[in-house]
Amino acid sequence: MTIRKQTIAFLVAAALLQGAAYAQGVTAIMNGRVLTGAGETIENGDIIIRDGRIARIGDELSPPAGATVIDAAGKTVTPGVFAPISSLGLSEIGLDAEANDAGPQQQVGFPLGAALDATDAIRSDSTLIPINRAGGVTRAVTAPTPGDSLFGGRAAVIDLTGRANSVTRARVGQVLALGYGGAVRAGDTRLGAWALLRETLDEARSYAANPNDYVRRPRDGRHALADLKALGPVVAGDQPLLVSINGATDIRNLIRVKNEYGLRVIIVGGSEAWKVARSLAAANIPVILNPAANLPAQFEDLASTLENAARLNAAGVRIAFTGTASGTHNLRALTQQAGIAVAHGLPYDDAIAALTRNPAMIYGLGNDLGSLATGKIADVVVWDGDPLEVTSAAEAVFINGVQQDIDNRQAALLRRYRDLSRGNLPHAYRGD
Amino acid sequence: MQQKTKLMIVAAAACGLSACANESDDAAPAETPETAAEAQEAAPATESAEAGPVRPDPDPYPSTYEPYPSGTTLVAGATVLTGTGERIESGSVLIENGKISAVGPDLAAPDGATVIDATGKWVTPGIVDIHSHLGNYPSPSTQSTSDGNEMTKPNTAEVWTEHSVWPQDAGFTRALAGGVTSLQILPGSANLFGGRAAILKNVPARTVQGMKFPGAPYGLKMACGENPKRVYGEQGGPGTRMGNFAGYRAAWIDAQEYKKAWEDYWSAYEVWDPDGDEGAPEAPVRDLQLETLAGVLAGDIVLNMHCYRGDEMAFVLDMAEEFGYRVTTFHHAIEAYKVADLLAEHGVCAAVWADWWGFKLEAYDTVTENAALVHAQDGGCAIIHSDSDTGIQRLNQEAAKAMAAGRRMGLDLPEETVISWLTANPAKAMGVFDQVGALEAGKMADVVIWSGNPFSVYALAENVFVDGALLYDRSDPRRSPRVDFELGQPGNNATGGAGQ
Repeated sequence: MTIRKQTIAFLVAAALLQGAAYAQGVTAIMNGRVLTGAGETIENGDIIIRDGRIARIGDELSPPAGATVIDAAGKTVTPGVFAPISSLGLSEIGLDAEANDAGPQQQVGFPLGAALDATDAIRSDSTLIPINRAGGVTRAVTAPTPGDSLFGGRAAVIDLTGRANSVTRARVGQVLALGYGGAVRAGDTRLGAWALLRETLDEARSYAANPNDYVRRPRDGRHALADLKALGPVVAGDQPLLVSINGATDIRNLIRVKNEYGLRVIIVGGSEAWKVARSLAAANIPVILNPAANLPAQFEDLASTLENAARLNAAGVRIAFTGTASGTHNLRALTQQAGIAVAHGLPYDDAIAALTRNPAMIYGLGNDLGSLATGKIADVVVWDGDPLEVTSAAEAVFINGVQQDIDNRQAALLRRYRDLSRGNLPHAYRGD
Repeated sequence: MQQKTKLMIVAAAACGLSACANESDDAAPAETPETAAEAQEAAPATESAEAGPVRPDPDPYPSTYEPYPSGTTLVAGATVLTGTGERIESGSVLIENGKISAVGPDLAAPDGATVIDATGKWVTPGIVDIHSHLGNYPSPSTQSTSDGNEMTKPNTAEVWTEHSVWPQDAGFTRALAGGVTSLQILPGSANLFGGRAAILKNVPARTVQGMKFPGAPYGLKMACGENPKRVYGEQGGPGTRMGNFAGYRAAWIDAQEYKKAWEDYWSAYEVWDPDGDEGAPEAPVRDLQLETLAGVLAGDIVLNMHCYRGDEMAFVLDMAEEFGYRVTTFHHAIEAYKVADLLAEHGVCAAVWADWWGFKLEAYDTVTENAALVHAQDGGCAIIHSDSDTGIQRLNQEAAKAMAAGRRMGLDLPEETVISWLTANPAKAMGVFDQVGALEAGKMADVVIWSGNPFSVYALAENVFVDGALLYDRSDPRRSPRVDFELGQPGNNATGGAGQ
């Protein structure tokens, strides 16, 4: 790949999406094997990026005069990986309390849950961002995790430019723990979790219907107002719940509650979701799943199988990927997760879509993000091989049409320590 | 101290793997002077004065594993990676009487042999995982089954993790479908001294003894760094890294005295005249904790050291010299690449993940090139380990990531070399390379036939042989084990057993 000319400037466009900085100028990515994310493959495909968006895509285009040309011959070009769930920017180090704002500790009595908003604490200069960006991740949902409350708070979509304002869209979902994760926050029984959920939703409705009446209640007879305010868009059916839930029984009940309250729901986990696949498809509930989950890890996971992704997809459920091994620090391994799903029956193009287009659709950003088509925001990755293959790497990463630096802290550590000879100065003077 | 518990699947930064909350350990030796079984033959258990001095039985829970019946099998036409650096195109592996009898490019099938046409497929030794918690942190994960970490005091060298292993952990079957045929189960890493490790053949059995690797040495698990501090900081200590080292050293001093007391006793017994006036010398009182540590000092027990940071590894190596024992493997050695020269110089292996990082500060500095950089040292020994019930199912993919990173920085890392990170190297470190870890005549016939290049995300183990017996066949549900827990459960018939 050669970069003939770098003409990259920034401007902040007041666009549909907040905070997006678009490249001024034109870039042409030529002759790559283009996987659009929408199921099509263009052999020897060309993409023209103008002002941060895809201006043209085809197989016999010519680079406009003055364009920066990327020769992608022999390479694979995809939309950027869109991580559908993470705590990126909130958690630098899992077990270091000061470097982890992903969520309140449990059993400390912290009073709020739904009110938390990821955008209050996203560190866009987290080292995790360039590390994951180097692996082809261009957008991510970053979400708080629940403490003592069933509700964890509000998630946001960010880009991985590392710019100070990297929020693409705030408040794209409200985190909710159900299944066993709900039970442990509600008297150690799923019955408690469902009762508490309904009671809280009822309260949110009461508050939304008449806030003035609600605040006249005695303080000990009401929920935290901040939580109820935050749940307003949820009970209005505008903001989806990001529900961690696994067991088929729990999922069936979730569908009932969804219909009862008119909620929007996204499942995270869903190890037994394949057993409820048709109902999920009918209810238009997407599932963000771990395609490597195949153990009876808990009683709610007894039917977990490596074929979960393939079966849900075949039933028409929109899927995307998560997993312990591809969590916040290793979102770069989402491509491996997709490969695992393919090895167990998921059609290849659908796996690419599950990494790119599906997350964008799930969060209502499909018009702008997630696929390579004219008019879309240019989040594009050029890979040195099959992007799902564990031996492949991202060679060029574009976000909002801007080619990104793929250097990162791990690369700097490598530069420092690849030569262990004593030298004339200590290692602390090497690398950068 | 409290940890953030995150039950959300969100997989935040935290600790899905036992490396964090439950912690584990690692380590592995290169060679042991004698196997436990041999030691037992040489020194039978406690005897009467007439029969000789008291000698604690080194193997009171002996392996009862026996290979399952197998015929003569020729696996032909495959790309064979031997585990010892060779690659044979259109290669064959001949299995007879449960052993590998020949490996080469042109092997003829003996009369009556079953011939498997493996054209287009790849064949490797069975994968060896040096760091697993299958059985002691089994599925389902409940309070009832959480038996991996004796977090009651910082030195629990007296516990033997085989007594915690539940052979009905479905994880064993999933690991088998990932090509894993031998594995070391380690106690957790909360403690300075976590207890004894158990080396198992990955063969379903009703008892742990039925899985125990015949003749394998015992291992001891120790832990550096954050975990002991975190667990005992408010429970009497250690609360610092210096406290950790004081704890290790005090224990080694006791172990040296204990070892000497027994040696003195045996020496006195040698010169004791049974017909004389004096009674027989009195044997020291047995102490299980010190017995294990003395076994390490004697070179009978292999030391596995959980240690993330390079500077701590350097201290551990000096401590081993101070007390005269050998560290075999640093497990979770995130910073091994910073001291790779030191590790090679001491002949110590580094067992690492490919790219798992950041769940705690001592795991902050990983590089995906870690294994490759350890390997690149003259005499370097790299191992890819799992510490995870899902990671163990795809150790080949983890190695592939590490291999690819090494290649991108310019290292020459052919598949036939890298496969040793999963086979020969862990087998050597665990003290079982005389029996497994390579496709060599005379070794146990632990063999995996892969659908393609195992360093691909799409490759699946199609057939897994243990001691020549076909114990997993992806195309045959009858050759797919199911543990008791799975029987009669909803969903178990969905796909079934090991490959589920």
